[in-house]
Amino acid sequence: MKLSREARDVLETSMLQNRVGAKDRDEIETLVAILPDDRVLLYKNVVSNPLGDLYRYSIHIRIQHMLTFVTFLMLAFTGLPIHFFESFWAEPFNQVLGGVSVTRIIHRTIAVIMIVSMIYHVLTITLGSWWRMRAGTFDIRRTIIPLWKDVRDFREDLQYFAGKRKTRPEMDKFNYKQKIHYFAAAFGNTVMVVSGSSFLFPELWAMILPTSVASHWQELMRLSHPHEALLALLVIAFWHWYNVHLAPGRFPMQWTFLTGKITREHQIEEHFLEYLRNLVEQPAERKALQDMLESRELLAETGRKGGKS
Amino acid sequence: MRMHRWLIVLLGLGLAGVAAATPAPGFQDTEGCLLCHKYPRMARITDDGVLRSYYILPEVFSRTVHRNVPCRDCHTEINELPHKPIKTGVTCSTECHSVKNPATGKPFSHKPIVDAYRESVHGRSKQAIGTDADKPYCITCHTNPLYNPTELAPPKQITDRCTLCHEDRNFVNRWYNHTSRRIREVRRTPEQIVALCSTCHDDKRMVERHQKKASAEGREIGRKFAIAVESYEESFHGKMVKYGFAAAANCLDCHADTVNYYKSVHEIRPSRDPASPVHKDRRVETCKRCHTYADKNYAQLDPHPTSKRGDNPFRYFAELIYNIVGYVVITGLVGLSLFETFGRRRDGVAWRLTHGSSWWRKSKRGRDRVV
Repeated sequence: MKLSREARDVLETSMLQNRVGAKDRDEIETLVAILPDDRVLLYKNVVSNPLGDLYRYSIHIRIQHMLTFVTFLMLAFTGLPIHFFESFWAEPFNQVLGGVSVTRIIHRTIAVIMIVSMIYHVLTITLGSWWRMRAGTFDIRRTIIPLWKDVRDFREDLQYFAGKRKTRPEMDKFNYKQKIHYFAAAFGNTVMVVSGSSFLFPELWAMILPTSVASHWQELMRLSHPHEALLALLVIAFWHWYNVHLAPGRFPMQWTFLTGKITREHQIEEHFLEYLRNLVEQPAERKALQDMLESRELLAETGRKGGKS
Repeated sequence: MRMHRWLIVLLGLGLAGVAAATPAPGFQDTEGCLLCHKYPRMARITDDGVLRSYYILPEVFSRTVHRNVPCRDCHTEINELPHKPIKTGVTCSTECHSVKNPATGKPFSHKPIVDAYRESVHGRSKQAIGTDADKPYCITCHTNPLYNPTELAPPKQITDRCTLCHEDRNFVNRWYNHTSRRIREVRRTPEQIVALCSTCHDDKRMVERHQKKASAEGREIGRKFAIAVESYEESFHGKMVKYGFAAAANCLDCHADTVNYYKSVHEIRPSRDPASPVHKDRRVETCKRCHTYADKNYAQLDPHPTSKRGDNPFRYFAELIYNIVGYVVITGLVGLSLFETFGRRRDGVAWRLTHGSSWWRKSKRGRDRVV
């Protein structure tokens, strides 16, 4: 496979950051050269373990996801019956946990846990990035930070879905969908915390803000809290859960949030640039991939046994 | 038919049992009113088509708080039997001739409360006409309540002790009824207060009548008057009260003073009246009843917020933008997922990852998995 300029750059950077020796470099270059030119054939023919093959998320990220997951649902369960107080289901939902005098305490307590989880997450990514910077292994393309490439990836992905392009774009560890989702969640959480605090401490907010703004602020917050909650719930239910549970290839469940690992075919299809890093960082993966392709006779001509890149 | 007869006999026995358990009526009909009013069909249909019953059950009346008041102490218009049609009816400011106020020795009367009520925005005369007739009169909110609906008679295990010294059983029973009711919480719950106020303030036709009249007279009317109930119900206070959370503010918590609850609730004033707790100059003080750190900024917050354009354009447009963004985001994301699924399915992806791959379906674009 002849790598694109971007992929080549990612591979070179990864080999440099991992201080890859000459022998390993040769092995990686040889393997890359014998990969089929058509990446579609690559992800269609590898063997994947549904529980995941390649390390993706640390235990910290998995704990943070679990905390967000549980607190979000509990907050929605205790909060939405208050907003939709006229709905037929509001009263029974509210009574299940002992009525509003109990659910308001649960809601606030869980909100604090959610905030702790947010702080834990910010600390994790900040310290993690700092640690990588010090170690010389930081690569902004590997982070969740949006780049212009994401816009191009989005356009090219749409072209592929429409049948106007042969392959999906070569996306990085976090693709455009994940970045949208991440920043939507980050923005949503911030809105929920700020608006929630304006319910809990209305006097404080009124004291801080100018008189002309105080009332509008409170009104905006009272609108934002339920609207953002409902939007988040709908996005989770109809987009996130679809993507990780119901989308083809992910059904019935993508196990990454528990195992921290992603399947090989998924990594190659949607995160090819990260897969190249996997080949650099995990010698065992190089061997596994070569065996798979050999068994299916999919190696490019230059890579047939005895061949050289 | 035989079955029906047995049912009637059983019902009769049951009623006899209840009658036996019911204490002897304390109410003494010294004025002979029950000569006629003991008949259950003593009723008439008014010109408005309302059925009015004039039937008195002595055993029930004997358990009410007015049991010691002879009929004509309130129904002062009646001077003969049978009496003529009533023109004015009862007013609660009438002085009782038979019941003395034990504190002052003067004839008992609800006059202090009625005077306060007449000064309030709700004040009206008994025979009010026009929009004044929409206002509540005493009996709109108050009936003649039972001392204790759950007690048929004062509990003997308590009153027996009293009779040892006080001897007169009737005196003891009266004293028990009066004091036990006074020390019991008989105020309406927050939900009942909201429901009571809503009976009039949620009546759109009543609201319209008052708006028209105010407009014709060039008189100012509260900005929230027309939407008082619906906007309160949408507010956080309203939602909490609906769910039975008594600490949240109900109508009276803001619109009535706190000096003496029982008097204050009768002297509610419009918000433009400087004496009203919701007048702009008194709002900080009123908010502070619950929100200890409330300041002038806090008092600016709208406690009855709505998203109606006429009431609050800022909120109206904010909500409009939120709704548009919400619909666009959800539609866009769901559309993207469907488009992605469509594209990947065409390329042969299967729903399930089985035997090591999700790509075992035949692709419409060629390049199938090697089997």
